Amino acid sequence: MSRSRRVFRPAALAVFVIAGALMVTAAPGAQPAAAPVEGSADWVAARIDARDTGRDSRLAMTMRLADRQGRTRERTLVITTLAAAGARGDRVLVRFLGPADIRGTGFLVWEHAQKDDERFLYLPALGRVRRIAGAEAQESFVGSDLSYEDIGGRRLTDYTYRMVEATAAWTDTQGASHPAWRIESLAKDAGARYPKVQSLVRKDAFVIVEAQVFNRRGEREKQYTVSRLERPGGIWTVMDATMANEATRTRTTLVVTEARYNTGLAEDAFSRRELEQGAR
Amino acid sequence: MSPSARLARILYRWRLPITALVLAGALVCAGKANLNNINNDLSAWVATDSPEYVEYERFRREFGGGRTLIIAVAGEGIFTPDGLRYIDRISREIARLPLIERVQSLATANVVRQLPPQDGDDGGIEVTPLVGDRLDTATGAADVREDALDDPLLRGDLVSADGRVTALVISTDEERIDAVRGEVIEQIRGIVDTARPPGLATYFNGPLEISETYNRITLANQRDLTPPVLGITIIALYAMFRSVRKVVLLVFAIGVSVLWTLGLYVLLGYEMNVLTSMLTPLVVVLAVADDVHIVQHFDREMREHGDRQRAFESTIAHLVTPLFGASATTALGLLSLATSDVVAVHSFGIGAATGVMVDMMVSLVLVPTLLVWMRPDTHTPPQETWLLEPLRRLGRWSFTHATPVLAVTGLVLVAAVAGVLRLRVDTNHVNFFAPGHPLHESADVMDRELAGIYSFNVMLDGPPDAIARPDVMARMDRLAEALRRQPQVRKVTSVVDYVKRTNQRLEGGAEAAYVLPAAPGGIAQELFVFGLSDEGRTELERVVASDYSRAHLTVKLASMSSDVVFEQIFEAERLARDAFAGSDVTPTVTGAGRIFATLDHYLVTSQVTSFGTAFVTVFAVIFLVFRSAKFGLLAIVANVVPVAAVLGLMGWIGISLNVATIMVASVALGVVDDDTIHFIGRFRRETAHGATADVAVERAAMDEGRASLTTALVNSLSFGVLWFSEYKPTAWFGSLLAVTMAVAFLAEIFIVPAVIARFPRLYGSAARPAVAAA
Repeated sequence: MSRSRRVFRPAALAVFVIAGALMVTAAPGAQPAAAPVEGSADWVAARIDARDTGRDSRLAMTMRLADRQGRTRERTLVITTLAAAGARGDRVLVRFLGPADIRGTGFLVWEHAQKDDERFLYLPALGRVRRIAGAEAQESFVGSDLSYEDIGGRRLTDYTYRMVEATAAWTDTQGASHPAWRIESLAKDAGARYPKVQSLVRKDAFVIVEAQVFNRRGEREKQYTVSRLERPGGIWTVMDATMANEATRTRTTLVVTEARYNTGLAEDAFSRRELEQGAR
Repeated sequence: MSPSARLARILYRWRLPITALVLAGALVCAGKANLNNINNDLSAWVATDSPEYVEYERFRREFGGGRTLIIAVAGEGIFTPDGLRYIDRISREIARLPLIERVQSLATANVVRQLPPQDGDDGGIEVTPLVGDRLDTATGAADVREDALDDPLLRGDLVSADGRVTALVISTDEERIDAVRGEVIEQIRGIVDTARPPGLATYFNGPLEISETYNRITLANQRDLTPPVLGITIIALYAMFRSVRKVVLLVFAIGVSVLWTLGLYVLLGYEMNVLTSMLTPLVVVLAVADDVHIVQHFDREMREHGDRQRAFESTIAHLVTPLFGASATTALGLLSLATSDVVAVHSFGIGAATGVMVDMMVSLVLVPTLLVWMRPDTHTPPQETWLLEPLRRLGRWSFTHATPVLAVTGLVLVAAVAGVLRLRVDTNHVNFFAPGHPLHESADVMDRELAGIYSFNVMLDGPPDAIARPDVMARMDRLAEALRRQPQVRKVTSVVDYVKRTNQRLEGGAEAAYVLPAAPGGIAQELFVFGLSDEGRTELERVVASDYSRAHLTVKLASMSSDVVFEQIFEAERLARDAFAGSDVTPTVTGAGRIFATLDHYLVTSQVTSFGTAFVTVFAVIFLVFRSAKFGLLAIVANVVPVAAVLGLMGWIGISLNVATIMVASVALGVVDDDTIHFIGRFRRETAHGATADVAVERAAMDEGRASLTTALVNSLSFGVLWFSEYKPTAWFGSLLAVTMAVAFLAEIFIVPAVIARFPRLYGSAARPAVAAA
C-alpha cells in the first residue's frame, strides 16, 4: 500500500484561505506534460494552481467544530505562512488562541522538497517543543473535517481531470449568480481515501466554491460549501466555508476574521524558538 | 333447552356460512403470516421505552453502539508478513462493505510512538498506524508484535498477551444494519475465508453474530421442528382413529388454526423471534387435544344414534363448556406471559393465547362440520377398546389406594420444593449453545485469550469541559482502578488511558510517566494532540464527547452466568457513585451488559407476576366452569403437582430459569388443567346421574383418561421434538413441557381419584362392594 507522505503545503494553505479549498497545486518542481487546451478541465486545474497567493500571509480565523449531536466548540487560531524560496520549502505556523486550555499551543511545519517534511508541536503545559510525525494528505487537519489536502490543495499531477459542465453557475449568499465550471478530479492512486471530487469553480476567480468528496465506495462523504468570498488586498479569499462530513455527521466551519498578505514576514518567524517563545 | 344446546342448534344451522368465514379468514391470514419478519435484536428482549433501553440509546447515539461483530484470528502466524497482510487485506475489504463504519484491527490500530531526539531537539511523538509499511518483512512484523504487546490499550483487548490471537471489531451503522445484516455477515465471511494463510483459524462472535444466529435458529426452528411435530401428530392420530379421512380432516383443521394464529400475530403488530418460532409447534400440539375430544364424542354419538345432526349438536352441547374452560385456562396461562417485561416472552404469550382461543373456536365449528360431511367409519378404533380396561383398573386402583398415592404425592412435592430452591436465573447467551457450537467455541477463544465478549459501560454526564478537568480525570482513573480489581473484569479502558499514554510518550517514555499530567491545561492539551490525527480523533469520539461533557469507561468481561454479571453491574454502580460523590458529574451504568443484567431482573419478576397471574386466573376460570369450590380445589391439587414437579426437576438437573424456561410454569399450568377439567366434568356428570364415586372415577378414567393418555402421548412426543433445536432454551422448553404433560396425566389418573376417595364427604362415597361389583 503506497501513500504519498505529504504533510502540509503552506503555499497551498494560502491557496485555501485565499482562493478556496479542494484546489489543485503543483508539486514542487512539477510541470504539466503539455500546455492544456484553454477551457479544458486540465487548463482550469492549472489556472487554479497558478493563482497569486502572496509571498506571505497572516490569517486570523475561527474554526467551529460541530459534532454529530450538533454541539459546537470553537477554536480561534492564527495561521501564518511563508512561501518557498530558493532551497527552502514553504513554512507554516498555526497558533491556537482559544479556548483557554489550549491557548498558546502551536504547530509548525517545515516543508522540504527533497526529504520528508518536519512538523513541530509546542504545548504550553509541557513547556517544550516536540517533533510530531507527518500525516497523510487526506487525513484530518488539526482534528477538523477538513483534510490537509483540502487545506493545502492537491498535487496537480496526482489527479486526472474531466469537465463535467462548462456552463455551470454558482449563486452566492446575496443571490447573485456567477458563471462556473464543474470539474471532476480522479485520484491516480488506487488507494486514495477519497478518490473522486466534483468541484464547482468560479470562472472569474478560479476559486472552488462547492465540492463533493466521494469515498472508495463511491458514496459522497463530504460536502464543501463557500458562503463568503472576498478580495482583500486584491487576492481572492474564502472568508467563510463549511465542510460537512455526511458519514460522521460532523461539520467544520472556518471563518476568516482578518486576512493580511505580503506583510514582510521573515524566516525567523517560523523557527522552533519562535514556536516556543511566541506562545508566551 | 340448555344454553349450550341452544348454541349447538344455532351453530348447526349456520355451520356452512361460519365455516366459509373461517376458511376465508384463514386465507387472509395466510397472506399476512410472514415468518421471515424476524427480530432477535436488543428490542426483542427489552422494551424500547424501558429506562435501561432509553439510557442505552442515549449512550449509543453519543458514542456508537456496542452491537459489533467480533472476528478472532488465531494461530502462530499472525505476526508474520503473511499474517499481517491477511489482516490488512480483510480489514480494508470489510471496511469497503456497505454500512460498515469502522474496523478495529491490528491493521487499523494506532499507537502513540516516541520519536528519538534529532538535531539536538528533545525528540517527539507520533500517533501512527501500528502496522504501517512494516508488513512486508519478518523484522517489521516482529516490530509490530513488540509494539502491539507493549501498548496497554491493545494488549489483552485487540491482541492476546502471547500474540497468538487477535481480534477484528467491526462497527456498523446500527440504524440500518439489521435490514441487511445477514447479507453483510455473509460477505464478511467470504472475505475472511478467502486466501486465509495456513495455520490461522477464524472465529465469529459479538452481538451482531449472536442476533444473526438467533435469526437463523428462528427460521430453522420453524423449518425443521414443525414437520416432525406434524408427523408425530399424524402418526398418533392415525394410530388413534385408524382412519386416513379423519387424519386428513384433523390436519386440515390444525392447519387452519395455525394460519389464523400466525396471521393474527402479525396483524397485532408483532415480529417473529427465537421464542415465537415455537408458536407453530405449540398450536399444533394444543389443537390436537381439542380435536381429539370432538372426534371421539362425535364418533360415539354416530355409533349410538347414526344421526349426523344429533351427533353435531350433542358434541357441541357437551363439549362447549369444558372446551371453553380448558382453552380459556390454557390461554390465560399463556396470556399471563404478557405481563412480562421481556418483549419476546410478552409477544409469545399474546401470540400463543390468541392461537389457543382461535383454535378452540375453529375446532368447535370446523371439525364437526367436516365430520358431518364425512362418511362415518364403521369400525371401532383400537384405542377405544385397548385402553378402556387398563385405565378403568388404574382409576379404581388409585381410588382404593388413596393413602399411599397421596403419600407418594407428598414426597414428590417435598422433593419438588427442594428442587425449586436450587433454581437459578441465567441468561448467558453463550451457554444457550452446546460446547461444540461455533458461537460457543468462539466465545471460549475470546474469553480465554482476549478481553471477553461481554461488556458494560459507565457513562459520565457533566457540564461542558468537565471531563477534561484534572479532578474528574483523577476520579475516572480511581474508578477504573477499582473496577480492574473486580474478579470478573478483564479490561477497563477510558479516555484516561489515552491521556496517560500520550503523556508518557511526550515525557520520554518512562514507565513512571504513564500518569495524568499535573500541569494546568496539560490534560486538555494532550487530548488536543491525540485528536490531531484522523485516527486519534475517531478514537476520542468513541470515548469522550467533543465538548468534554460526557465520557465513558468500557468494562469488558468474559461470558459468564448472568447472575454474576448482575452482581458485577451493581458493584460497578456502587463504585461509580462513590467515585463521583460530591462532583458535578453523574455516572450511569449502561451498555449491553447492563441490559442483560436488567433482563435477569425482569425474568425473576416476570416469573413471579406471570405465574401469579396464571394461578389466579386459571383457577378462577376453573371455579367458574365448575361453579364449585370443592371441585376447584380438587383441580388445584391435581395441577399444582405437575407444575411443581417440573420446576423441581429443573432445579435438580441444573436447568436455569431463562428466557424460554421461564415460560414453562405458566404455560404448563394453563395446559395441564385441560384434562383435569374433562375428567372432573365427567365425574360430576356421572355422579349427577346417580353413579357412586368409585364408579364415576372408573368411567371418567376410561373415557376421559383415554383421551388424556392419547393427548399426553402425542403432546409429550411432539414437545419432545423441540429437544433437537440447537438453541438450548427451545430444547429445554419443549422437553420440560413434554415431562409436564406426562406428569399431568399421572396426576389426573392417580391423584384426582385418590383425593376423591380420601374426602368422601366432599366428593361422594364409593358403592358397597356388592353394588360396585354389580
